[in-house]
Amino acid sequence: MTTLIEARRLTKDFGELRAADDVTFQVGAGEIVGLLGPNGAGKTTTLRMLAGLLQPTAGEAVISGHSMNKEQRQARRELGFLTGDMDLYRRLKPAELLTYFGKLYETPAIELDARVKNLMAAFGINDFADRLCEKLSTGQKQRVSIARTLVHDPKVVILDEPTTGLDIMASEFILRFIERIAREEKKAVVFSTHNLAEVERLCDRIVVIHRGKVAFNGIPAELLAQTGKTTLHDAFFHLVQ
Amino acid sequence: MRSNIILTIFGKEIKEVLRDKRMLYLVILLPFFLYPVLFTLIGKVGADQQDKLSSQKVTVLINPEGQGTPVFDLLKADTTLELKTAAFDRAAIDTAKNTIGVWVAPDYAQQIAASGSAKVTIYVDESKDVLSLRKEVIAARLQALNQQILGERLRQAQLSESLIQPLAVETENVATKEQLVGKVMGGFLPMIILMFIFVGCVYIAIDITAGEKERRTLQTLYSTTASKGEIIAGKFLAVASVGIVSAAMNILSLLVAMQIQVSLMSENANSLSFSVSPQGWLWLVVLVLLSTVFLGALCLAVVLLANSYKEAQSYVSPMMMLILIPAMLSQMPGMELNASTALIPMLNISLAMGAVVKGAIDPGLMAMVVGMALLYALVALWLASRSFGNESVITGEKVNFRQLLGK
Repeated sequence: MTTLIEARRLTKDFGELRAADDVTFQVGAGEIVGLLGPNGAGKTTTLRMLAGLLQPTAGEAVISGHSMNKEQRQARRELGFLTGDMDLYRRLKPAELLTYFGKLYETPAIELDARVKNLMAAFGINDFADRLCEKLSTGQKQRVSIARTLVHDPKVVILDEPTTGLDIMASEFILRFIERIAREEKKAVVFSTHNLAEVERLCDRIVVIHRGKVAFNGIPAELLAQTGKTTLHDAFFHLVQ
Repeated sequence: MRSNIILTIFGKEIKEVLRDKRMLYLVILLPFFLYPVLFTLIGKVGADQQDKLSSQKVTVLINPEGQGTPVFDLLKADTTLELKTAAFDRAAIDTAKNTIGVWVAPDYAQQIAASGSAKVTIYVDESKDVLSLRKEVIAARLQALNQQILGERLRQAQLSESLIQPLAVETENVATKEQLVGKVMGGFLPMIILMFIFVGCVYIAIDITAGEKERRTLQTLYSTTASKGEIIAGKFLAVASVGIVSAAMNILSLLVAMQIQVSLMSENANSLSFSVSPQGWLWLVVLVLLSTVFLGALCLAVVLLANSYKEAQSYVSPMMMLILIPAMLSQMPGMELNASTALIPMLNISLAMGAVVKGAIDPGLMAMVVGMALLYALVALWLASRSFGNESVITGEKVNFRQLLGK
């Protein structure tokens, strides 16, 4: 399995506060890794360093073999990033928004046109294609956001609490999307969540971050064995208390 | 930096602006209709009000001793005055409605006959426009009577009128009509241009920076392959373009408004002629462009510190003060463009624009203003790049000036 995401001893300080401390893990092609941890543990900071939004104080993020520090453009070209609280450009229509981001990734025009059409069909966006994004429902916005994440066909997808604030239908849509891109398209997926049911359903591996450090990195069964608990819920609480 | 990425960002921002009705009203429609409507409305209301005040009946009380004097005849001749003879005092005039009192000294006839000075007092409440205006008319008529009596006395004494006027002082204004109009326009035009460039820049700057932070779309943008420099350049071009359109609409609107005024006042048309030389227009374009670069970059740098649209709007008034105060100072008497004022941001632009409009262009000083404006624009752009490069801005966190100017 080709490694597509590498967090190499990622460390981030905000003044006196060390938000992430020597965080190391890998994600392979077609693998789904769940990033778990209580609020303030350092999940978002880690994901932002992987996405190149934050410069690590020490360590390095490598995306599809490209260092985010040294080959940022190549690394970002292979990366799709989505957070649950991200909105869309209000006065653009879905197709315009997808084309805009495709152009930012310098996707060739003919290829971009085909990709936008395919994504709009795949995510059922054609039904509301003529409406501005500000007029879309939360679920419709979420579909456009996901399509936006994939418009440049990245090998790596990073999702920061993608289901936060969504209803059951919209959450289910996201979970199926994560499953599909990993299993069918062999993309490497890392996502942070507080929902352990999502983790049990999707994740091949979990990384638990506690007080900025990696407290566990392995398959769910290993976490149960290591903590001596029978449920992921109990094992997680055992680890972070 | 890749020009295709910059143009993609610029194009997207402009597309969003063109779909924002509020922005279109503010940047294009409001300035375009503001001056013609304002000028016409103010002119019409002002003229109507003046007519109303001039024709409104006003009661004039004159004391019984004044009856039979030329003062009485003079007041009676004015049909807009309702002349009544009655004894009155200051308090009576104060409480009476729409009334002026004219008190003529009881010894008026004797004083005039003996070449003395007869006292005439006008009692008026000058806080009332109609009474104040009518007092001016009465005072002017009395002055004319005074001149008439004086002339008669000089003739009787076989003296020339020049005896009481040893110096015949005259003033001849050598300024052209264009210069006179330029003086008036040069005072307020720079302030209006700068204000509307700022208004044009600031609202789009808020939308594409603080607005994006609030909606968390800035993170999406930063996670793409577009570099910070390309993002700043694209957004800055959009802000500056809207600022320039706003300024152009203002100047155009002002010229249209003036043309309307000229056509409405055909008899005074020549007195309102206003022209700027081709060289002057060139300087104006350069100054407007530099002001836009400066104000656009400043707006981007400052509003990006805000975390929400609402917070960014609270920065608008202080920034407006930074522009309006120097622009207002440029209108102070004696304030002119020189080697010192050319160094002060905004004041130098205001004075330089004023000098162009007045037709008093000093190429050396203008070059100095352009150089300084360019320097300030670069500093503002640097500040904007510091804002955009700040990690807290990228992640939508709060930023302060210390962070901005620090590491």
